[in-house]
Amino acid sequence: MPESATTERPPVVKGRPAPLPLSIFAGGIAALALVLGGVLFTQYLWASQNRAPSPSCAERMSGALPGEEEKLLKGGSAVCHIVDALKSDMQAGLLITGMVLGAGMVVAGFLLYKRMPNKRQRNHAIAGAILGIQAVVFGLVILKFRDGDVLIFARNFLNFTFLEGSMDGFLRGMKNTIILAFGGELLGIIIGLSLALLMISKHRTARAPAMAYINFFRGTPLIFQLIFFGFLFLLGFQWRDALFTQVILILGMNMGAYSAEVFRAGIQSVEKGQTEAARSLGLSYVKSMRYVIVPQAVRRVIPPLMNEFVILIKDTSLVAILGLSAGQYEIFSFSRSFFSDSRNASIFLGTAAAYLAVTLPLIWVVNRVEKRLRSGLVGIAG
Amino acid sequence: MNEDGSLVRLENIHKWFGSNHVLKGIDVTVHEGDVVAIIGPSGSGKSTLLRTINLLEEPTEGRVLFDGAEITDIRTNVDEVRTHIGMVFQSYNLFPHMNVRDNVTLALRKVLGMGEKEARERAHQELEHVGLAEKADAYPGSLSGGQQQRVAIARALAMRPKLMLFDEVTSALDPELVKEVLDAMRRLVDEGMTMVVVTHEMGFAREVGTRLIFMDQGKIVEDGNPREIFDAPKDGRTRAFLSHVL
Repeated sequence: MPESATTERPPVVKGRPAPLPLSIFAGGIAALALVLGGVLFTQYLWASQNRAPSPSCAERMSGALPGEEEKLLKGGSAVCHIVDALKSDMQAGLLITGMVLGAGMVVAGFLLYKRMPNKRQRNHAIAGAILGIQAVVFGLVILKFRDGDVLIFARNFLNFTFLEGSMDGFLRGMKNTIILAFGGELLGIIIGLSLALLMISKHRTARAPAMAYINFFRGTPLIFQLIFFGFLFLLGFQWRDALFTQVILILGMNMGAYSAEVFRAGIQSVEKGQTEAARSLGLSYVKSMRYVIVPQAVRRVIPPLMNEFVILIKDTSLVAILGLSAGQYEIFSFSRSFFSDSRNASIFLGTAAAYLAVTLPLIWVVNRVEKRLRSGLVGIAG
Repeated sequence: MNEDGSLVRLENIHKWFGSNHVLKGIDVTVHEGDVVAIIGPSGSGKSTLLRTINLLEEPTEGRVLFDGAEITDIRTNVDEVRTHIGMVFQSYNLFPHMNVRDNVTLALRKVLGMGEKEARERAHQELEHVGLAEKADAYPGSLSGGQQQRVAIARALAMRPKLMLFDEVTSALDPELVKEVLDAMRRLVDEGMTMVVVTHEMGFAREVGTRLIFMDQGKIVEDGNPREIFDAPKDGRTRAFLSHVL
């Protein structure tokens, strides 16, 4: 290259190193801690000191005539703790401090991150800015809530005393939810695999009914299917007992349509050479499916199938529409009946916890299986 | 054996893929003990021709006779016929969810109805033959390409076929792994196996083939003694192809 082609001025690769990468990171943490931790802290303070309800709260909780402030509704003082703590000046101060600090870290982080001397410090600066954003967003949401009618919400949804005595019901509900979901899944797998095998048939007469089934069950809401088939079984078929079994059947029929598509995709993802190798050894179509193709397909569809299963667990809540008997209540049916008895929606916090107790371990397993399948050689050995 | 000594006879085979005319009237007879090498440019229809022999491709027109019986007849039990014709593929096509032994014994057990013990013994024999007896418990994914291909050969041979089809079996292999597969095939030739081999290995075709078929554009251009064709190709297309690949 000729001498003249080189520039006089070397390219600038370094700006001045920026100061304080760790401070931005620490600032971000502090901002978020002030906002979220501040809420927990004030809540803890009011509850642990068992402060007397503020007059305005006490009045609305008793909902009664003047002079009867002491007669709070069930669990009313606990609700007032929540409300009073949230409405306190201390809470406002913590929120605003956190948001201001967070906003500062956003500005500092994004202004300075490019000038950090190394990658680690650059990542610290960026992390600080991101935490700052979270502090501001959470702060805004909490401030907005604080401005509203905290009391009426807390009275209906955050009155934990109403959860008393619900433990047994939730445990039974979880048991029934799990039975419904597992039963539906098992049936769904059998129906799904059968439909998938029909779907890949070269005979249109076999494909058409499978297609119609799948389109019907995927194209209509499960809640409609529960009502429609519930009545079909009960009145149409005069099948008057075993509602629980009928519900499993309907859930399985629905699940079958979804898993059919999963299985079909799985079967078609197995290389053509596998079928050819099997057939060239003299295995019939059925035997090559049974021993060679389907076992490989099943391994491949485990993650998407488990995903459908998690969805099915939550969808069991829809059977509440059919009016199971108390012993057969799944989580949601139990919650709904508890709600109508107590006339307080706080029970639904327990509902969420019960569903999470069932789904979170499963989601964890799904992720593990998925990771194992993905890391393995072609993912199918063993 | 058939009275005229023919094991496979293809009569006027045509194959269309949609509007694509891939085989244009093929007549070939393979005799017992023949080692037929099929060469030709890509797209000449040589793999398709090979695959019509065990009906992995159904010919659009024409007849395929195996051991004197017309297997293109709709009433033929094709699965039964295929147990007599071993096939080895370019991409090995071992079953990845089974270990090597189960790959070899699957068809023995499920098609021939052989007992577990007998099948294992035969698998051991065949794997030993290709030098892989100690890999019986391994999964295909942990083997090299050459090892996988030798297992595929053992799997096909375990059925004790009368005919072996090889479809570019070394094309997917790293160069240093080609020899072990070709060696396994050479041993098979020495044992007198009837083989039809689609290949790009000209050396192999020349040395061990008893017959060479050159195909181009869906037709057989030359069919004869490998040495004669390599040394003095009669057709201009054969000459052009050989000058490119040699």
